[in-house]
Amino acid sequence: MLDLKFLLLGTLFVPLAGVGVIWVVAPLGDRAVRWIALLVALVTLACATTVVFSNEAATRAEFAVTDVSWLANSSVAPLDVRFHVGLDGLSLWMFGLSPLLTLTAILVSWETIRDRVALFYGMLLLLEFGCVGVFSARDIVLFYVFFEFTLIPLFFLVGVWGSEQRQYAAVKFFLFTLAGSVLTLLGLLAIVVWNANQWNGGTWTFSIPDLSTNLRLAASEGNLPVKFQLMVFLALFAGFAIKVPLFPLHTWLPLAHVQAPAAGSVMLAGVLLKIGTYGFVRFGILMLPDAVLHPGIQILPSVLTNVFPQLSGVTLFLYPWLLVLAVIGIVYGALVALAQEDFKRLIAYSSVSHMGFCVLGLFALNRPGLQGGTLQMVNHGISTGALFALVGMIYERYHTREISALGGLAKRLPILSFFMLLFTFSSIGLPGLNGFAGEVLVLLGMFQRAWSQSIVGWQPLLVAIAVLAVSGVVLGAWYMLHLVQRVFFGPLKEPTHNDANAPAGDLCPREVLALTPLAILVVWIGVAPGFFLSRTAKTLNDVEAVAANAFVRHQKEYQRLWATAPSPEEPPIVPVELSQRGP
Amino acid sequence: MPVDLETILLLLPEGGLLLSATALFVWGAADRRRSWWPVCAALPLIVALAMVVRDWGSPVLMSGPLIQDATGDMGRVLAVALGLVMVLMAWRQTQRELASEFFGGLLMVVAGLMLVSRANDLVFLFLGTELVSIPTYMLLFLGKRNRASAEATVKYFFLSLLASALFLYGVSFVYGMSGTTLLVGAADMEGIRDKLPAIMQSELGGLLPLGLVLVLAGLGFKITAVPFHFYAPDVYQGTTNVNAAFLACAPKIVGILALTRIVVNVVPVEVHLGSQLVILLAIVTMTVGNVCALWQTHVRRLMAYSSIAHAGYMLIGLAVGIASASSGGLHGLSAMLFYLVLYVVATLGTFGALAYVRSRGEEIEHLDDLSGLSQTHAAIAAMLSVCMLSLAGIPPLAGFWGKLTLFSGAVELALDVAHPLRGWFVVLAVAGALNAAIAAAYYLRVILVMYFKPPRADPQTVSGHGLQTVLVICSLLLVLIGANPGRLLDTIEPRRVPAQQVPVETELGMNAPDDGQEQK
Repeated sequence: MLDLKFLLLGTLFVPLAGVGVIWVVAPLGDRAVRWIALLVALVTLACATTVVFSNEAATRAEFAVTDVSWLANSSVAPLDVRFHVGLDGLSLWMFGLSPLLTLTAILVSWETIRDRVALFYGMLLLLEFGCVGVFSARDIVLFYVFFEFTLIPLFFLVGVWGSEQRQYAAVKFFLFTLAGSVLTLLGLLAIVVWNANQWNGGTWTFSIPDLSTNLRLAASEGNLPVKFQLMVFLALFAGFAIKVPLFPLHTWLPLAHVQAPAAGSVMLAGVLLKIGTYGFVRFGILMLPDAVLHPGIQILPSVLTNVFPQLSGVTLFLYPWLLVLAVIGIVYGALVALAQEDFKRLIAYSSVSHMGFCVLGLFALNRPGLQGGTLQMVNHGISTGALFALVGMIYERYHTREISALGGLAKRLPILSFFMLLFTFSSIGLPGLNGFAGEVLVLLGMFQRAWSQSIVGWQPLLVAIAVLAVSGVVLGAWYMLHLVQRVFFGPLKEPTHNDANAPAGDLCPREVLALTPLAILVVWIGVAPGFFLSRTAKTLNDVEAVAANAFVRHQKEYQRLWATAPSPEEPPIVPVELSQRGP
Repeated sequence: MPVDLETILLLLPEGGLLLSATALFVWGAADRRRSWWPVCAALPLIVALAMVVRDWGSPVLMSGPLIQDATGDMGRVLAVALGLVMVLMAWRQTQRELASEFFGGLLMVVAGLMLVSRANDLVFLFLGTELVSIPTYMLLFLGKRNRASAEATVKYFFLSLLASALFLYGVSFVYGMSGTTLLVGAADMEGIRDKLPAIMQSELGGLLPLGLVLVLAGLGFKITAVPFHFYAPDVYQGTTNVNAAFLACAPKIVGILALTRIVVNVVPVEVHLGSQLVILLAIVTMTVGNVCALWQTHVRRLMAYSSIAHAGYMLIGLAVGIASASSGGLHGLSAMLFYLVLYVVATLGTFGALAYVRSRGEEIEHLDDLSGLSQTHAAIAAMLSVCMLSLAGIPPLAGFWGKLTLFSGAVELALDVAHPLRGWFVVLAVAGALNAAIAAAYYLRVILVMYFKPPRADPQTVSGHGLQTVLVICSLLLVLIGANPGRLLDTIEPRRVPAQQVPVETELGMNAPDDGQEQK
């Protein structure tokens, strides 16, 4: 059997090689280009599937690692940038999902994209290259390179093949994301420099595993200055929160989704948004645990507090505010989705809401929350990716995204309606489907954080957040079912159109093929989430231990600051032993 | 230090280029054939390239006003390479009757660049910069002869003179205080570096910053740092694309190399002299450049503001270099030179593409002239996009590594708790990062016009194999350096000349055996 590490490299570089092949065969015509792209996507998917379902994925915390020197130089600084790729529990499923959604994206675009076909599939494969790379990178610079690289192909996908406002949407998407991510770069550099000064005798290591081990240790010993942690976290926050997107920074997302071609939306919603949540866990929690959990960090620079001593009391406890942002995103996204008349906009706002769930679960910082958040990243990728693909298929048939222009499609398009219902149910968390497993775990985590693991003095807020999150589930069911009811049931309503190209009939085998793997996953994860969770457990236990440690460290401080009466019966949170618990 | 035969021999390539330039001027008056001149300019450049590449990595050597070291080697190769690229770009562009003058002037500029890159004497440095400036006035005028071009040339001429005067005035202050113009001294003769600590202690010490500020102002004009940038947009707009390429690169190289020379070898290691000023200049320069570029619709104006902004980025490296001089680090300067090379490559590629494509038979002037280029000339659009994305610093292209190295220096100082200017560098790093995002906006506009706008009714045409070659080479380089930045970074590392180990009064033939080859 092939070594897993070569299969991972294959997943990474086959799309890149595919771009070269497409460039060569482009003169042969669009047909050749499409088939080559499909072939490349299938090969990539085969490699990725073998990797994620391999034995090693279940038994080892980190596997399929390749680590070679990339830039070792001392003239600018003692840099040691490495081409270091590998997988662990946090990245495993997102890594596997990227090639799958690329396949869907290619099949969805098969007939719709008629203009500059070679460029389109080239960009799509480049996007796949970037997505796979971002989740497998184990070196900060490599991560950042892929992180920003994904902007270029999506910029083209939206800008060239999008709808009416595509240019504005493409530019807004690019600049919004870039503005955040340049600050993220500074934050990441700060981590590297701090670590180099502290440990490595000056050598700048960019290795993510090394850095998280070092920083976690330093934080637990209290050697990592909390103000530094907070500043770096805020720099990372700028990039990742825009990417997710968290509530006040989400404005680029509906625009980009509505204007993007179906394939672009599938990739954007399915994979790219998750880079944000992934980054929060990978860098935010694992490397800077105190930034979020420290009860009071002075945020004003000493220059200011020296001049105005009365300002030195201005401190920040970030944790509740993060959760508040997430829950505002959940409720706000759902409410706005309710009011939408545009099919794609509705699903775009539902993305804002669902990504809020992911963030809420991850930042519940306990086992169910982390597991639910990670699973929900995959779930949302599958269901929303599929929903955007379906919207693309409807648009292909009727050339409209107006919800009110359509009705009763279940009679006309039974197979499409079946898939639509399936993914809708998955999205609203029907028991037995994947969404349920994820949402239940997220809510469980949040309720646990609000009640049994609450922070003294903040319990009312945490409880309110948890309850509001539940209302998000209800709202989510409301707007999705309302949508399905209006479009697929009731009297048949079809817009008149005279486009000879549009297929009037139901899904063709190609379209069924695009959706079937996603549908299988929806049921599989729904029925047996344990299999998927078990492969993430090792890494997530680590994350949980880091967070639990930080909670313990600050417990006294919480008591001092916010406990109204001394409460000895408050159950202390004990750091989790890694080997004992496991699903 | 006296000038002897060894000094002359060290200057062989420069002398050869100057002689060729003179020959071109004289011969050009007699012979009006056209196609001959680029070849006549290319041949001496190729010979010079062979010589400077052969000299690459020679041991550190001081002779008269010259110093031979890593920075010098890098600067000379860059200069000759720029000369060759410019010959390729101007091959078919220049007007027939003035071709010999154009190429003669170009050779002089290359010689001037090479002198600056090895100057160890302020007067010699000034000589080198003037050898670049004066032919530049001529080149600018030769490109295109109309009112706008004349205005641009005159504007450049007067402002350049003013800058030279400022520089010279600053040099006179430094000379007055130290009594020497030599930058790095040898055993028998003290240089400015050796005398600076004493000057700083004396009552004259207060004047030293004044002198250095004037020097910085003079060189700031060359690199189009704010507030000496006003000429750039007008001059770029008024001239041709090929000349604009030249103007965006040659003075920038001169300025940066001269600053490197002065900073590496003169700024004393004990004091933080002028860091704050350079930081302010860097922030203001990149912000003004980037923000003003957002509204430009004329491609050369846009590139002019882009060139201003990049000067600001390079000043980050200078600030880091000055501020970390106390720890003996040259990290910032290394990053600055690295960035300079990447900037030059991307800029040459951009202007190569702009000159290569013609719209309605005319040069590309406005962004709209590029409309729909991706559908008529897909490869050119792709290569121009590579240049744009590299200038914007988007990975995995070369420009990203430039930004990464510059920012890492600033972040290093921003986290250095003991450093007195720590807060300044925090601001500098954040300003640099935000500017990188602003800059992407206008580079994307170029790509947007090429890819998202419909092709024009009268599609663009292309002409000139030389320009095509330049475009292909530059964009390939950007991709390759992006994939493997280490090679280039290794080769351009500047080193502080150690004062003790400099061979004193090396007589011809008495050198160590390993540099005997260069005297043959």
